[in-house]
Amino acid sequence: MALVGALNVQAEEYAYLTFETTDGEKASVAVSSLTLTISGNTLTAGSQTFTLSNLSKMYFSNTDETTAIEEITTATLDEAADIYDLQGHKVTKDQMKRGVYIVKTKSRTYKMIVK
Amino acid sequence: MKRTLLYIIALVLTIAAMGQTLNVKVGNVTYLFPSTQTGEMTYANGETVTIMGKTFSLSDIDEMTVDNASVTDNLVDIAYNASGSATVTVAGNVAQYVTPTISGNHVSIAQTNTDAIDKDEITYQLSGTTTDGEFALDGSYKCTVSLAGVTLTNPSGPAINISNKKRIQISAKNGTVNTLTDGADANESWKACLYSKGQIQLQGKGSLTVNGNTKHAIKSGDYITVKNLTLNLKSTSGDGISCNKYFVMNSGNVTISGVGDDGIQCDFEDDDTVTGETTDHEDENSGNVYIQGGTLNISTTAAGSKGVKAAGTLFINEASTTTIITVTNSGGVDASVSSDLVASACLKADKAIDISGGTLTLTNSGQGGRAINTDGTLTISGGNIDAQTQGSNYGSSNQGGGGFPGGWGGGGNSSSSNHKYAKGVKADGDITIKGGTINIYSKNHEGLESKGTITISDGQVYVQASDDAINTASHLTVSGGYVCGYSTGNDGLDSNGNMYIKGGLVYAICSGSPEVGLDANTEGGYKLYLTGGTIIAIGGIENGSSLSQSCYSANSWNKNTWYALTIGNDTFAFKTPSSGGNGIVVSGASQPTLKSGVTVSSGNSIFSGMGYTDASISDGTAVSLSSYSGGSSFGPGGGGGGFPGGWH
Repeated sequence: MALVGALNVQAEEYAYLTFETTDGEKASVAVSSLTLTISGNTLTAGSQTFTLSNLSKMYFSNTDETTAIEEITTATLDEAADIYDLQGHKVTKDQMKRGVYIVKTKSRTYKMIVK
Repeated sequence: MKRTLLYIIALVLTIAAMGQTLNVKVGNVTYLFPSTQTGEMTYANGETVTIMGKTFSLSDIDEMTVDNASVTDNLVDIAYNASGSATVTVAGNVAQYVTPTISGNHVSIAQTNTDAIDKDEITYQLSGTTTDGEFALDGSYKCTVSLAGVTLTNPSGPAINISNKKRIQISAKNGTVNTLTDGADANESWKACLYSKGQIQLQGKGSLTVNGNTKHAIKSGDYITVKNLTLNLKSTSGDGISCNKYFVMNSGNVTISGVGDDGIQCDFEDDDTVTGETTDHEDENSGNVYIQGGTLNISTTAAGSKGVKAAGTLFINEASTTTIITVTNSGGVDASVSSDLVASACLKADKAIDISGGTLTLTNSGQGGRAINTDGTLTISGGNIDAQTQGSNYGSSNQGGGGFPGGWGGGGNSSSSNHKYAKGVKADGDITIKGGTINIYSKNHEGLESKGTITISDGQVYVQASDDAINTASHLTVSGGYVCGYSTGNDGLDSNGNMYIKGGLVYAICSGSPEVGLDANTEGGYKLYLTGGTIIAIGGIENGSSLSQSCYSANSWNKNTWYALTIGNDTFAFKTPSSGGNGIVVSGASQPTLKSGVTVSSGNSIFSGMGYTDASISDGTAVSLSSYSGGSSFGPGGGGGGFPGGWH
């Protein structure tokens, strides 16, 4: 049992990899079998997509610290300042088709799924 | 059930402890960052990410993954791939110090400041096989290169090339077989198959074979040490091992053959102040070679080559393990510079040779070769030494010594520019023997020669030679031990100064008149002073000797016959040679008796089987002895007063 306890201390394992943007917003991604890919100005971590130029840091965490980047399916785009596709290309509202987009407003950054 | 559950929990946690790791893949290099160590990983301007001090250009990263890969701190793993490119895996804690460059299987590492981990240092672990690859390291800090079953051939350069001028441990992992081979370059564009600008510590309980095809097999610009390792070295045109400052062999098995020059060569570092031996070898630049354990087998064939060559002193001593040194040399004389002939030798040191232990088997069959050769002093205080030279003499002598016919003109100047004599053991300085068992055979010249003095106080010395068996340019002193000088072409013991026999046992055999068993330089105003000990001189002793101890003689002796000389309760049995000078002179602490044709039933065998101390004998016929006082050979005369001594 002592051995188990000892290993437990050393075996610090994190459940999430948390990303923080330059505006202080956070999004946590489960790390189990996680793959991060970079394409252009976009980093994709699991189901999350980030604009590289907006990222300030990432770190392992034990809890989901997501504060802003949310997955929403319905929203208005009135406040959108910038919209990017997963390839990091900037698009306009009119160019949005079915797919996943990163929508940046003055106060928040959303991951938007257009269905 | 409860216990089973605990086991399951323990297993799960054990697996979890293997690690949670962020892998950052850049080309063929993967960096492994343990999640417990990463802390905050910072992005900058969408261009870079810095993890544990290592900054990556985001555009260079192929992929990042999180898995349970285990990470060994300080480890950089390099796996060569016979059918592709090498892959490199870098532990996160050293990632910031390491920049690998990979081209096929050519791996080059630039290593920067490792102060923060210097106590643990980086380990570069090499494995896999390639016929066209290398490991190159450039940096300025200590590190370890761990050989974990690697077969690395570089046809266009050294297999391992380390530019760090720091201590590098090269360790073959236990049980692994490792081979390094370089290509052949006529321009000698690189120095060795395994090269390090800094110190090399060769160790590990695996094996390492190094095939040098351009110059040396292993070369360090600093010192080299060997411990535990099984090391096999070949070098077609250079040394097996070449280093500066000093060389230490503590243990292991080193075999050197097929070399184009010396087996092991240690020089001074020209840029540093020359020192002698220092405490713990700190800042030492002595040119010394220390062999203090292990097994060393060296075979050299190049002209003028040396099995072991030290610019300073060669020390052979025994620490906690048995030292076995076997050197064969057939190289002969290097006459590429006719005015500066270079003789080959099994062991050679410019300053001195000091042997206090070990088992040495030294054979030189090359023309003009020597088994042991030093420009300085030779000191032997222990060990078992078998030194043989079987080669012929090189060149001709015009400086024969003193008009004594026979042999190669005893006393000829071996430093003359037009010849090299095949001597058994030669020292330009004094020779001191204080112990050990030494057997020397020289087929075509002197056996044991000093250009200074020879002093023997203990040990067993047996020398058989075609010229003087034992020869000194100055004085020769025997005060203890057992000494046999057996010459088939000149004097048994020949001193060109005075000869002092104060103790011990001396068995001297000359080839025949006018040579003598014990010859001092009477013509030069010197003489033999006999004040103690036991002597048997076949062929007599030098006329005009000072005999403070009574001597006795017999005018004839039988060839190939066992004799027994008894003094008090001590009997020394000796076998006469197949030929030798007329008459025999004996002396001891008290009046001896001599018997011929004895049977030896027991005793301590010495002199390569030609003598027994503490002998038990039977049979035999008493030999009539007459008092001998020098002057005309074997004539009657009063002996001097007895002098205590004996050979014990």
